[in-house]
Amino acid sequence: MRNVWVMGKKEFVSYFSSPIAYVAITVFLVIVGLKFFVVDQFFETGEASLRSFFSLVPAFFVFYLPAIAMRLVSEEKRMGTFELLATLPVSDAEIVLGKFLGALGFLVVTLALTLAYPVVLLALGEPDVGAMSGGYLGLVLIGATFLSIGIMCSAWTNSQIVAYILGAVLSSLFFFMDRLLGAFWEGARRVAEYASFDSHFNNFTRGVLDTRDIVFFVTVTAICLVVAAFSINSRRWN
Amino acid sequence: MTDNPSSTMIEVSNLSKSYGPIEAVSKVSFSVKRGEIVGFLGPNGAGKTTCLKIMTCFIAPSAGSVKIAGMDVQEKPREVRQKFGYLPENAPIYGDMIVYDYLAYVGALRGLSGKKLTTQLAAVAERVGIGRVLGQVAGTLSKGYRQRVCLAQALIHDPEILILDEPTVGLDPNQVVEIRSLIKQLGSERTVILSSHILPEVLVTCDRLIIIHRGGIVADGTPAQLQEQMATNPPVIVRLASGANGFEEKVVRAFESAGFAGQVRQKHVGLAGEVEFELVSRDGADIRSRAVEVVGANGWKLLEVRRDLMDIEGLFRRLTQE
Repeated sequence: MRNVWVMGKKEFVSYFSSPIAYVAITVFLVIVGLKFFVVDQFFETGEASLRSFFSLVPAFFVFYLPAIAMRLVSEEKRMGTFELLATLPVSDAEIVLGKFLGALGFLVVTLALTLAYPVVLLALGEPDVGAMSGGYLGLVLIGATFLSIGIMCSAWTNSQIVAYILGAVLSSLFFFMDRLLGAFWEGARRVAEYASFDSHFNNFTRGVLDTRDIVFFVTVTAICLVVAAFSINSRRWN
Repeated sequence: MTDNPSSTMIEVSNLSKSYGPIEAVSKVSFSVKRGEIVGFLGPNGAGKTTCLKIMTCFIAPSAGSVKIAGMDVQEKPREVRQKFGYLPENAPIYGDMIVYDYLAYVGALRGLSGKKLTTQLAAVAERVGIGRVLGQVAGTLSKGYRQRVCLAQALIHDPEILILDEPTVGLDPNQVVEIRSLIKQLGSERTVILSSHILPEVLVTCDRLIIIHRGGIVADGTPAQLQEQMATNPPVIVRLASGANGFEEKVVRAFESAGFAGQVRQKHVGLAGEVEFELVSRDGADIRSRAVEVVGANGWKLLEVRRDLMDIEGLFRRLTQE
């Protein structure tokens, strides 16, 4: 476990040692802010809720988080540092978990910077605190799931670009599945709704904490991380 | 592990590795004793790096086994990895990290922490001479320093075994000399295995050579032993002052009819007035004195007689060329 912590810390710090993290966070905050204040006209509608925030952020994550995760394994493979890492006394599972932890830390920092919204809401009116906390928990869970998909794709290639495209495509498939499938195949709608990230996430923003939704995201995350660890291990047999 | 100085540290038996239909390493066996510096020599693509990658548990063998300090790399990868320090080819390094942080990171993953980590890091930095660049971003280092930093990483936990893949590739001649002497120093207290495709490098740093070609070992021993092995029945070279027309044919016939030489041929000299002949003994005995007798009996002018011991360079070329 100590190794996971050491690697997670290193990944977390390395995000902030390059300007990319600051650019990414700025872009995220600006877009969220524009949507919240300009497009959805927060001050004009006079409603103390984060509904518009929670409707945008997951869709934004579909394209944002694969970019955060894309370099985690692929870059090490390309630079050759992966050989060094993999010959240290650490297991492949620890490598994957460490990377995941570092990226999760970055996600939490990004989300923490948006806490200004609930603070403003609490100051201005009487928002539904349950729905807000549920929404944030949902964002962490759905974000962690996107990151694990990104890490899995990153483990499949030594190109960041390929990792990003695969990650974004897979993430959007899962996220928009109900809308995509449901649109032209009525029979699959229920299955698609169950598998779709979107429908599980929406329960959180209503302030409904259903174990099934939590289990869903945790399970998908775990599956992706296990696949990532196996993909890393497959180098040994090629 | 016992502290028996001659105990076996690395034991490779019948190691094979195929990449699809290509067999990169085929039935390689050798062992390395404690304190030996072994050079793994071969042309590019001979299978050196593949062998090292299996030893370091990076890839799995198709067949055969590797034991490091008595432990199988497949069964106890974690324990095995703690036993060695590894410098992969091209000295990979995290370009965005400060050198100090990089070494501390590897040290932490090696299980060091707190004061032990700081003292060990300082000792290693001093040892490989990177104290000056500890605060620098690793991506801005020169190739020589980069190699040293990567070597420091391999030494951070004071391993018994050092595995170095092409440690001097891409360095300028001065840096090459520095790294070589550093390796030699390090080798005085631990077991070192280093791969190289440069013969002189291995000759100056290693006690023992393993020459690998097309995935198999073609020679294994000290430089002197290898020379000896190859020197069984070395040809004798006789140089004479040249005579009248048809002289060369006459000499060849005379040596052939003397009976001790199984094979006689004229060699090209390139000097006017001198001719050279190569005689191979029929039964392996030293035929120099008998050759001189033949020369004396015929009244030819003898300039030189010598055995043609192949130098290690020639040996390497002969073993690794087909």
